[in-house]
Amino acid sequence: MNAKASKNQLTSIEPAYYEAVTEAIRKEAVKILKEETVVGVVGYLPGRRKGTATPALVTSVEEAEKLIFSPACVNNLSVYLTKAKKGVLKQGKVGIVAKGCDMRALAGLMTESQLQREDLFIIGVVCPGVYGFGVERTGTLTEANIARKCRECTVHMPEGADVAAGTHAELADLTPEEAEEMARIEAMPQAERWAFWKEHFSRCIRCMACRQVCPFCYCEQCLCDKNRPQAVESSPRPAGNMAWHLVRAMHLAGRCGGCAECERVCPMDIPLNLLNRRMAKELKELYDYEAGLAPVEKGPLNQYKEDDDQSFIK
Amino acid sequence: MQIITEQNLRNLIDLLVKEAKLVVGPKLSGSVVLYEPLTAGTELTLDALPRRSSKELFFPVCEDILSYKREGGGMKVTDVDRSKFPETVLIGAPPCDAGSPSILDAVMSWDYKDEFYLERRKKSTIVGIACTKGDDACFCQAVGLAPDAENGSDLFLTPLKDGSYACNAVTEKGQALVAAHKNLFAEGAGAEPVPFVDQAVQKLDLVKIKKWLEEHFEDPLWERIADICVGCGACAFICPACHCFDINDEGSTDDGVRRKHWDACGFAKFTNHASGHNPRDVQNKRYRNRIMHKFKYYDDKFGKTLCTGCGRCIRACPVGIDIAEILETINGKAE
Repeated sequence: MNAKASKNQLTSIEPAYYEAVTEAIRKEAVKILKEETVVGVVGYLPGRRKGTATPALVTSVEEAEKLIFSPACVNNLSVYLTKAKKGVLKQGKVGIVAKGCDMRALAGLMTESQLQREDLFIIGVVCPGVYGFGVERTGTLTEANIARKCRECTVHMPEGADVAAGTHAELADLTPEEAEEMARIEAMPQAERWAFWKEHFSRCIRCMACRQVCPFCYCEQCLCDKNRPQAVESSPRPAGNMAWHLVRAMHLAGRCGGCAECERVCPMDIPLNLLNRRMAKELKELYDYEAGLAPVEKGPLNQYKEDDDQSFIK
Repeated sequence: MQIITEQNLRNLIDLLVKEAKLVVGPKLSGSVVLYEPLTAGTELTLDALPRRSSKELFFPVCEDILSYKREGGGMKVTDVDRSKFPETVLIGAPPCDAGSPSILDAVMSWDYKDEFYLERRKKSTIVGIACTKGDDACFCQAVGLAPDAENGSDLFLTPLKDGSYACNAVTEKGQALVAAHKNLFAEGAGAEPVPFVDQAVQKLDLVKIKKWLEEHFEDPLWERIADICVGCGACAFICPACHCFDINDEGSTDDGVRRKHWDACGFAKFTNHASGHNPRDVQNKRYRNRIMHKFKYYDDKFGKTLCTGCGRCIRACPVGIDIAEILETINGKAE
């Protein structure tokens, strides 16, 4: 089937679509809990405030019947299966609700031997997009309230899930804001680009939310927490902030699945996903590699071949 | 009643800047509104609650506390000259921000006097402003404040329907500010005040909540929250009342600076001992501490609640942890 030809040219995604996905998720979650295929399901529950959702680990049928999917289901839940969030996986096989971008993170974590496919039951969500930050939460998703990352999503259809909830629906003709912003920055003279990032990093308060929500920031000892000797200044000042964000961008090169959670959670509005995108572009150009589309044996930056290009060593 | 027009409020800022005072107020900085030094009255924006609270005026994100340099055979240590801290006016802080220093004064002047904080407090005047809008994360009324609470303000402004402000000099500092700029204020009856918004969270019984906390140091509730808390410091850093800090020497062994900067109890290493032992080794113990500190320990020690209900932590939490909802749950459980 030609995906392009079957694409619905929609200008809005109505609440009915999310209700249908919600039903499918509940049905599947209840089933796998009843059958004891899994010990729990990581999904979303409604928040107290209008149009909000919150991640949850549900372990009973009763709770599973409350799971939801809505444009407020912004989180990448794969973070709950990482080493940094010890405890969830240890309990046994778990179910997880995964949008396309979350699937990329799961594939990446499998690549890095952090997860075993057989330990997971993946309820894939055919996701038309989620809300951006600080937008009106009406239940209907439109060009006006969709997240930046979703405007250029290439993984609406999750591949490799055990079941898929939803049918193909996506908004048509969205402006690729991130690509445009990246092109704008790349066109800047180097000094101006440096000033752009200096300005953004000057606001960083080192709350580490970017690190804590990232599925790939699972190191048990982060370089930035090291203080004897101190590797990166831990005080929220220009030097340490710059070092921290550069270290992170480099460590995520070839690994970041593009969920843009780091950018979403930054309380200071630092456009962190631009760094990730730029590194992804480098990896694509240098190694023809895109992170996390499917589990692979090894990523390009964690293997060595004798015929690797050595020209960068001067 | 004394009235100040919006134009005169902006003129007041211009005048204070001319008097070489540091004037700090909500200002658009890139895509966010922050409390930043104002260079002119036109920069004051009262459209949005600043992303970070105004506590940083007294308790900066990061500050130098001394510098050191190896000289001859020894180490020369130079203190920061706190007498050079400027006279400061904080202008346009809503009650959830204006009220926080008066809560923090207790801990900052307790067994150890934090001279950095206290010197800035001594030299500051707070011009608070009644809040006329909010969202469903706001819960100041639930924790004993209100959109029109004057707690912590030296001078308090109430927006009136004609765009001017009714002024109430709450303290001597506030009276002095008005007296020094008399021509900007007018005596008058003033128009009707702009009504305050209703809040979604009803008033909480903080005594009952505290009692429940006393009896439930161990409770499944903490595990439920810990299941989803990712252990970042966003909630603490943007909170008007959280005041934990870390101290680091940064530089070389020959030359460097000792710095005090924000820290957060949500971090895994917050209580990590030099021995390697960590008494709060899992996230539920860390989140429990956050709630206990705000609604029990601080009250035990200083008779105050360490939360002003600004709702910033609710808006910013990466995983949607809602402190107001948790408090409502506890309030419902408590007998």
